[in-house]
Amino acid sequence: MIRLENVTKRYTTEVVALQDASFEVAKGEFVFLVGPSGSGKSTLLRLINRQERPEEGAVWVAGRNIVDMPSNRIPQLRRNIGNVFQDYKLLLNKTVFENIAFALEVIGKPKHVIEQQVPAVIDLVGLAGKEDRFPDQLSGGEQQRVSIARAFVNRPLILVADEPTGNLDPGTGEGIMRLLDRINGTGTTVVMATHDRRIVDAMRRRVIQLDRGVIVRDQARGVYQ
Amino acid sequence: MISRLRYLFRETGASIRRNPTLSVASVITAAVSLLIFGLTLIIQHGFDNLLAQWEGGVEMIVYVNAGAGEEQRLVIEEALGQQQNVTIEAWSYCDVSCSLADADRLFAGDPVTRGQLNELNIPTQYKVVPLDATQVEILRGLRDRYLELPNVYSVQLAEEQLDLISRLQGFVSTYTTGLWIALMVAASLLIWNTIRTAMFARRREIEVMKLVGATDWFIRVPFMLEGLLQGVAGGAVASIAMWFINGRWTAGVETFPANSGMTALVVVDGYEWRVSIIVIVFGAIIGTIGSGTAASKFLDV
Repeated sequence: MIRLENVTKRYTTEVVALQDASFEVAKGEFVFLVGPSGSGKSTLLRLINRQERPEEGAVWVAGRNIVDMPSNRIPQLRRNIGNVFQDYKLLLNKTVFENIAFALEVIGKPKHVIEQQVPAVIDLVGLAGKEDRFPDQLSGGEQQRVSIARAFVNRPLILVADEPTGNLDPGTGEGIMRLLDRINGTGTTVVMATHDRRIVDAMRRRVIQLDRGVIVRDQARGVYQ
Repeated sequence: MISRLRYLFRETGASIRRNPTLSVASVITAAVSLLIFGLTLIIQHGFDNLLAQWEGGVEMIVYVNAGAGEEQRLVIEEALGQQQNVTIEAWSYCDVSCSLADADRLFAGDPVTRGQLNELNIPTQYKVVPLDATQVEILRGLRDRYLELPNVYSVQLAEEQLDLISRLQGFVSTYTTGLWIALMVAASLLIWNTIRTAMFARRREIEVMKLVGATDWFIRVPFMLEGLLQGVAGGAVASIAMWFINGRWTAGVETFPANSGMTALVVVDGYEWRVSIIVIVFGAIIGTIGSGTAASKFLDV
């Protein structure tokens, strides 16, 4: 599903975010990216959804090398990748329903599809009954659930999550992880960057560890270390 | 398709509501520039009315008494024919209906005088194109000779009125054109800036839209529509102002003396409608250009 081949990403000649990174993620896998701040986790996620381009190497997503993908094809790529962020990136002037529907609306889905898919995903993330609330009327965990619902409503092949539990207390973070695990159970590949040792150790999924832009460990059913 | 249109209009409306001060400023600037543009066209048309008789290189007009018969006109045509290829390149006869059409434009601002002219009393005209328009003395000699012909009401030379009007037209045209071009650029830049501000205010939405796979065009179009609407609104305001100013000017000219030479300097022949459409279309164009360039340039907010 995702393959990186000798990928190097530099922001300046001195700042190397990723150095000769190579790995492959199979369809339906759940992968943790771990490492200290500045180790290149977020850059790696940004390379997968083509927010960044590497200086060297190839990034394959769903069978296509996206490094030289023409800009008019990128929206199509991104419709297959859901994004979850630490700061949720919700639109504060829209309700829960509208925030989730927005993701379908801007890719041109008709109203009847939106009316069918949005309530289903609201149920999935456990926010039934809160459709009409605005983000500032929700807890942090609930806001992250909305963010996950928005990322998943279009049933993407891949879901990338950048520190999704970073702003949440441990209990709420566990709830979010259960949700991501459930989404992974539907066949969606999940790649998640995290600092949260407890979660990684509890889940025992594949762990790719980065240190100063270099992959130093790639372990199936790994722990944080 | 319907959901896309609904989205388009909803987002455009939301964007305008979010930034009303800048939107109003853009509309006013567009309106002022388009008003000057429209008035330039109207003034040009007024001058064209003044010079209508002299189109096509005509330098001399021989007016024939109303009611002069074909045989009587043959005398004049024979005199003109004698000069064909000597001093005259060409001449043409402007019959009653042609002369009435000229009068419509010449006395556009003097309905009383125009009302007194009809098929029975309007002098018809021979319009003369000389071989060399710079030979003024030759033309003056011809005028003196033709004045002595029977049934010639009067003879007018272009040099007597054309020169001053042409210079005035050139002056007005140069400065008003420069002004409206400068103001249109200003209006377009202000719309550009309005759209840039609107995009900055909505940068979070744009970021989300891009991440969930919205195409650049899908993101861009509501902003372009916003700019287009501002341009069209500016054009509509300019049209209303132009009609008001033209109406006041026309009413004023009607009070001028008939021999003031200004009676043709009005536009009452429906040309204002064409100018209104042109002004609104130009408004749409500057709005679209301003917003389109901003929406393309600042999409990566």
